[in-house]
Amino acid sequence: MCLGIPGRVVDLRDDGGMAMGTVDFGGMRRDVCLAYVADEIRPGNYVIVHAGFAISKVDEGEARRTLELLKEMSQLDELAWMREVAERSLAGPADRGIDGSTDRRIDRP
Amino acid sequence: MTNDPSLAAGPVCPVPLGSATHVLLGHGSGGKLSAELLRERFLRRFGNPALAALGDAAVLDNPGGRLVVSTDTFVVTPLEFPGGDIGTLAVNGTLNDLAMMGAEPCWLTAGFVLEEGLSFTVLDRVLDSMARAAAAAGVPIVTGDTKVVERGKADGLYVNTTGIGTQTEEFSPGPAGAAPGDAILVSGAIGRHGMAVMAAREDLGFATTITSDTACLVPLVQRLRASAGGAVHALRDPTRGGVASALNELARAADVGMVLEERALPIPGPVAAACAVLGLDPLYVANEGMLVAVVAEERAEAALAALRDHPLGREAVRIGTVTSEHRRLVELRTAVGGRRIVDMLPGDQLPRIC
Amino acid sequence: MKYLAEYRDPDLARGLVTRIKATATRHWVLMEVCGGQTHTIVRHGIDELVADQVEMIHGPGCPVCVTPLEQIDRALAVASRPAVIFTSFGDMLRVPGSRTDLLHVRAQGGDVRVVYSPLDAVELARRHPEREVVFFAVGFETTAPANAMAVWRAHQLGLTNFSVLVSHVTVPPAITAIVESPDNRVQGFLAAGHVCTVMGWRQYEPLAARYRVPIVVTGFEPVDILEGMAMAVSQLEEGRHEVENQYVRSVRRDGNRLAQELITRIFQPVDRQWRGIGMIPASGLGLRPEFAAFDAEAKFGLTNIRAQEPAACRAGDVLRGRLKPHECPVFGRECTPEHPLGAPMVSSEGACAAYYNCGRARLPAAKTA
Repeated sequence: MCLGIPGRVVDLRDDGGMAMGTVDFGGMRRDVCLAYVADEIRPGNYVIVHAGFAISKVDEGEARRTLELLKEMSQLDELAWMREVAERSLAGPADRGIDGSTDRRIDRP
Repeated sequence: MTNDPSLAAGPVCPVPLGSATHVLLGHGSGGKLSAELLRERFLRRFGNPALAALGDAAVLDNPGGRLVVSTDTFVVTPLEFPGGDIGTLAVNGTLNDLAMMGAEPCWLTAGFVLEEGLSFTVLDRVLDSMARAAAAAGVPIVTGDTKVVERGKADGLYVNTTGIGTQTEEFSPGPAGAAPGDAILVSGAIGRHGMAVMAAREDLGFATTITSDTACLVPLVQRLRASAGGAVHALRDPTRGGVASALNELARAADVGMVLEERALPIPGPVAAACAVLGLDPLYVANEGMLVAVVAEERAEAALAALRDHPLGREAVRIGTVTSEHRRLVELRTAVGGRRIVDMLPGDQLPRIC
Repeated sequence: MKYLAEYRDPDLARGLVTRIKATATRHWVLMEVCGGQTHTIVRHGIDELVADQVEMIHGPGCPVCVTPLEQIDRALAVASRPAVIFTSFGDMLRVPGSRTDLLHVRAQGGDVRVVYSPLDAVELARRHPEREVVFFAVGFETTAPANAMAVWRAHQLGLTNFSVLVSHVTVPPAITAIVESPDNRVQGFLAAGHVCTVMGWRQYEPLAARYRVPIVVTGFEPVDILEGMAMAVSQLEEGRHEVENQYVRSVRRDGNRLAQELITRIFQPVDRQWRGIGMIPASGLGLRPEFAAFDAEAKFGLTNIRAQEPAACRAGDVLRGRLKPHECPVFGRECTPEHPLGAPMVSSEGACAAYYNCGRARLPAAKTA
């Protein structure tokens, strides 16, 4: 099962030699085994949890960077797309290729 | 159970035991223990003239008009959960079934199957809940029945309630009423009851702040009637199977299609989180205090305003539209711009929720 | 939910769809090898958004679905034994064996219990020393750390009434089998983000190089999938075939070292049968001899199991991506989630279940915007 969900570590403790902790998933809490991430996490960190085990610590810096990049890209893409649409509607029907786009194959009689 | 040795073999001669703390087989035998149970626990809480007459059946004045009857049996486990218990469900659930038909509830009955060994503390809490819910709705419990079964045969307690109400022709929403162009509304947040019950099941080991939304929907339906009248084409309370199943049933009964907007669905954060963790879809999770209303487009805004005017309907929102395309199918426009069908589920995502 | 909801943002998704459409100059074929990713794609209608640019073939990403029928039958045989508490993840309950399934076994008195974590099964064994507790350990490498820890924990506690029925499979050999197959159409892969969280992506580098296929380690939310697809398409357009990581918030090149260490201590590579595909060498995990006491197969002597494949089930072709679920003749007719002929129709990661429950091929074709 691939179902892995991010959650916030609330506390850590030792359960007979096994590192355990409470993880909060958006308001829902469960005990999670932290043995595989114990050496790198503190309360407040986020982890990916699968089948009751934390399998990685969420790299929040990377996550933030990616989201910002994606946001920029989507805004740029939106501008580019709007520009393309504007250009296409300015071009007359004779300039349009068979697949309806400009700058591709231009089919002139 | 007490340690009284006279009880060890199982009571066959019911002797009034004022100090009994748990249900005994004798409480169901029809003798003095039964009478005591009835008097001390049920009558004291449900007291009304029809019930107090203690006839084999209740005698009631005919209210006139069309009669609407609904019955439902409640087997939820655990018996008590954040926000309510099996008693609250039993009263509100049946009142809501009547309300979904546009009926004004008049009377309730209540039948109980008690398991030997059920704690009276728990039973009293459940009965208190039922009395409170019935009183709040102004609907008396006029007759009932109690049986006791051996330990291990009833998971503590099963309750059946039957409700009787009256309906007029001018306000009679029915399951086949949806028409193309109608607006699909929900009166409140989705997914609370099912997740609250599930979280209360200790074997799954989750803790959450979600509480059941169990509530009597009669006031909401009254507001819909006042604001939209005959333009309310269909009503349904999405209990087992959730909003998805309720909409599928309405679509099939009326032979129409439906289109929902994923971004419009009012799913509270904790419900979404709990569902994500457990791999469940909130659209299939049971609700006990909200309704789905299919209303003619021209009265949709008025209906929403009327719902939002009541505490139970503050989060009422439009989630979709009825269509004549893809009949009997419910389509969901996904948050990222794609689409898929929302189908009936083969079985319960979560068993014994109601 | 933080680190989840942001990856369902419609604006980000739309930006990535535009990017894919702008980048692709021709049609490409990609495969995802993870049931979780298949479900996201189908649930959100992602592949339909870029259908002209990319075809997504759904690979054998469902460990339950690729588990041979004999192993399912073994599980059912154990679950039927009176003294046994049989535990598994929830979606196993309706997976059909040759003659029955766990739901029916439970209805007939078998003690079958759903657990969220294999540690819950170990706890059951600890609390019920008079019963035998068996856990059905099905999964890819993602679940191996959890199952390894369960065995390790039982070993530490000295439990003699706990065992696991192992059906672990690993991903890289499956990718190899796919690309080496003569009629392979797949040009690039999305690798499973949580498998790689555990194992890292080093093992995929020789595959990308030898078979000249881009491999993008990808997450599970719609924005993750679209970004992974965009990265794969860019590579294909540029003639590159590298391993790239989209799921940067969880995956590192070396993966989780602690998890890998325990997996290696408890398990060893074994040959495994993949249902519908056949034997793939060294594609599975089995218990090491030192932990044989926890092997349910040995403990319960489950050797004389003869499976009977339902004739009409095309799970093998679906799992290899030869057939889309709705192209199977019995899809939605004789085979439905209520009456499944094969695991892909009931497993939470099965492609057939995704297609059926999301109504693929039942909606009329979308009008292009």
